[in-house]
Amino acid sequence: SGSATIPSLKHRLQRNVAAVAWKPLCASILAVACQSCVLVWHLDPTSLSTRPSSGCAQVLSYPGHSPVTSLAWAPSGELLLSASPVDTAMLVWDVSTENCVQLQWFGGGGVTYLAWSPDGSKVLAATPSAVFRVWEAQMWTCERWPTIKGRCQVGRGLFPPTQGGYRRGGADGVFLKLPREMQGQVGGSKTASIVADLSETTFETLYGEERIGGEVHSMVWDPTGERLAVILRGFFSPPPAPKIPLPAGRRGTVIAVFRTRNSPIFELLPCGCLRGERGARPQLIAFHPCFGKGALLTV
Amino acid sequence: ILDSFNDLYTSYVIFCTLLMSVVILVISIFNAEFYTVVPSIPCSRLALIGKIIHPQQVIHSVVHAVMGMLVAWCAAVMTKGKFQFLAVPCTPPESLDDAVPQMCLNEYHLFFLLSGAFMGYSYSLLYLINNMNYLPFPIIQQYKYLRFRRSLPLLIKHSCVESLYFVRNFCAAYYFFGYIPKVWISTTMDLHIDRKLHPLDTLTGLLDISLFYHAWLCGVFLLITWYIAWLLFKIYATETHHFPIQPTFAEETDQCLPKILNSNPPLIIKFLALQDLMLLSQYSPVRRQEVFSLSQPGGHPHNWTAVSRECLSLLSDLTQRLITQQEAAAANGRAKQPAGELKGSPQAPGAVVQEDMSFQSPRSNIPRASMSSLVKSSLMPLKTSPGSDVGSPFSSPALNCKMGILDVSSPWHGSVQSPRVMRRGPKLWTSGSDLQMNGSHHESFPVLSAARVGSEAVQPSFIYTWLQNKQEQIKNFLSKRVLIMYFFSKHPEASIQAVFSDAQMHMWALEGLSHLVAASFTEDQFGVVQTTLPAILNTLLTLQEVVDRHFKLPHVSSKPPRISGSLVDTSYKTLRFALRASLKTALYRITTVFGEHLNAVQVSTEHKKRLQQFLEYKE
Repeated sequence: SGSATIPSLKHRLQRNVAAVAWKPLCASILAVACQSCVLVWHLDPTSLSTRPSSGCAQVLSYPGHSPVTSLAWAPSGELLLSASPVDTAMLVWDVSTENCVQLQWFGGGGVTYLAWSPDGSKVLAATPSAVFRVWEAQMWTCERWPTIKGRCQVGRGLFPPTQGGYRRGGADGVFLKLPREMQGQVGGSKTASIVADLSETTFETLYGEERIGGEVHSMVWDPTGERLAVILRGFFSPPPAPKIPLPAGRRGTVIAVFRTRNSPIFELLPCGCLRGERGARPQLIAFHPCFGKGALLTV
Repeated sequence: ILDSFNDLYTSYVIFCTLLMSVVILVISIFNAEFYTVVPSIPCSRLALIGKIIHPQQVIHSVVHAVMGMLVAWCAAVMTKGKFQFLAVPCTPPESLDDAVPQMCLNEYHLFFLLSGAFMGYSYSLLYLINNMNYLPFPIIQQYKYLRFRRSLPLLIKHSCVESLYFVRNFCAAYYFFGYIPKVWISTTMDLHIDRKLHPLDTLTGLLDISLFYHAWLCGVFLLITWYIAWLLFKIYATETHHFPIQPTFAEETDQCLPKILNSNPPLIIKFLALQDLMLLSQYSPVRRQEVFSLSQPGGHPHNWTAVSRECLSLLSDLTQRLITQQEAAAANGRAKQPAGELKGSPQAPGAVVQEDMSFQSPRSNIPRASMSSLVKSSLMPLKTSPGSDVGSPFSSPALNCKMGILDVSSPWHGSVQSPRVMRRGPKLWTSGSDLQMNGSHHESFPVLSAARVGSEAVQPSFIYTWLQNKQEQIKNFLSKRVLIMYFFSKHPEASIQAVFSDAQMHMWALEGLSHLVAASFTEDQFGVVQTTLPAILNTLLTLQEVVDRHFKLPHVSSKPPRISGSLVDTSYKTLRFALRASLKTALYRITTVFGEHLNAVQVSTEHKKRLQQFLEYKE
């Protein structure tokens, strides 16, 4: 925002911060997932103070719901979902009245990852086991989707920015495409299909053999729905100079960029790989939300 | 177990079951009669007492007590132990000269019946105090069965704990007052009190575990059934209802959404209609199209006009109400007003009264009028020191007198105390009973002397002003009486909640309107929304300013303490925060969707500046 002051937020309950999320459609509310609660900071975007007082933080806690590891704001900005891997209930908070609704299910462990679809109609909740749930956000019914390949763990899930099916990346590098559903109902777990297999492959390039592929660490879609970037952790692919010997078994990461199209049929075409310097590992990637001239990716 | 199954078929049990269903029916009728979607919040202790002794509430309590007694009777009869009958044969006397066996009062049975009545009455009292007749609308929509299942464990746990409290309270009450019903029943029904057994209204009698357990169990059963009836009523009443926008059949015209919003339906229908508006604006493109459509053949956007007009009038109504409140709060520090109407000012009664009391005892012979002015002038500099604060209204003034110091427990959020705030006096029923206390005393004497001189030319107005001044005098005198203050003082938090008690309607109107406007950016084919855009923005921005100013008043921005995991819903206490958040989100939604195009909309310059702040995410 152009100001030089960077406030730092400290609170005595703010321990083991696992996730941080800004409220959409607002310039001043930040939710922080802590060990025992969720802290919602109300900040003044024009203030110059570097240390907002802990009176600005609202504490949302619920017995049995700790540690909180994932948070997701609804795109319409009214509800906050919080989930913990040891709690078999997801909490839907109305932040201003501090009321929460528990959405409980039986068995299957807690929730490791939450994602809302951009139109606010579905929520993806990934569990530590090989099952994930998709909730539809109008009547809050959920559907269990067992993964096709049994053993794999759900790493990440993503909804495309425009209407349509959504995708899920597994730990062994399989992309599942889940088809378009009827409005208001979640269905079609039987008709899910594998869209891309990102497990390890080797292929020949000008510089020799290259091995790419492996575990999907995270993926992001750009806001227009045309580019998808995936961080893949796999084995180290040889550098352009083939004479340097490779230490065996070293894992490296690469960002694969795909061109995607959602209509008339879903298409995923690889269009390049990004590799950083040797030893550098990308941790977070994000597309610029309002870039006018295409897609801008920050690593 | 076989025995108990056999027992189930006896006529006793069937009769009892029928009686229980009658009880539940009566309870449900009461739930349906008494519900409200806008909670009534008593602002002062007197209002609370008034609510309790209101005839409607008295009937409610009496009927609940009778129902409780019926349930307890059924339970006692079905238990078949020592509780079964009211009159049992007495234990025969040890002496050989055998008198005719007499009928004695079975005190256990009586205890049971009375405990049932007590529980029924306590349930009714708690119903009133916790505003259980208020129907909160859920934050997310869920199927009814899921909602019921979700609340069931909490309900059972709550009933068990509450029953424990009730039994404990009843044991205490019986210990002190148990002899009254005992004596009354035994004289009316000509039963004798058994001398051999322990009477129950002694400590040894009451320490009977089995009695305690049975009473507790009966209480749990009673509470569970009544709470389930209440919960089911709540779930069914707050279910979303689908209102059509375009009537497809002629008889549906009265039920369609624009018509309902514009007429004056019962409040629950209006709430349901607004909730439906909120849901359709978010989730249903088909119905949104109907809202944006034009009528045939005239080409008028009737639906949109009706919806937007109603939402905007609701919001301007709220703006007006808040402005009136703020003006009243501001005016209380200035000259008194002639009309003595109730001013709902969210201000604690001043510590002025408390200081008066502390000074009055040693110097009671000094005439009060001059004394109060002395006190006032000496205390002014003391009170304007920052950090000192007016006492919370519910701390007992007597205690403050004994401490002799200003009560510094501040429920305020660390806001800066302006001197004008300090000088505000007790807010009873006029705005005049404050700083001008001494002023009024001095004024009343010249007025009275003028009366004695007697200028007949101004007789009518003179009598009026004389009466007014007398009224002022009486009120000032009474306001110094601590007991009166105790009852009449307005609790600030409650007054603030009362202003925002129907804010749920406004929140839904805001969300529905802003979602429709945001959707119209892509979905509105005829441009019906664009013509009303200036009006919408003006209303929203004005409301935003007024709400921001309102939150600067004392007490408004402090959150009441939250008890998690309780059965009763207290969301009406924090509705103002939800309203503020929803207003901001609504404005951001519109500015985010329209972006720079908003600069072309005709709004006033200050509003333009505020919109710019929103566009730059600086609000």
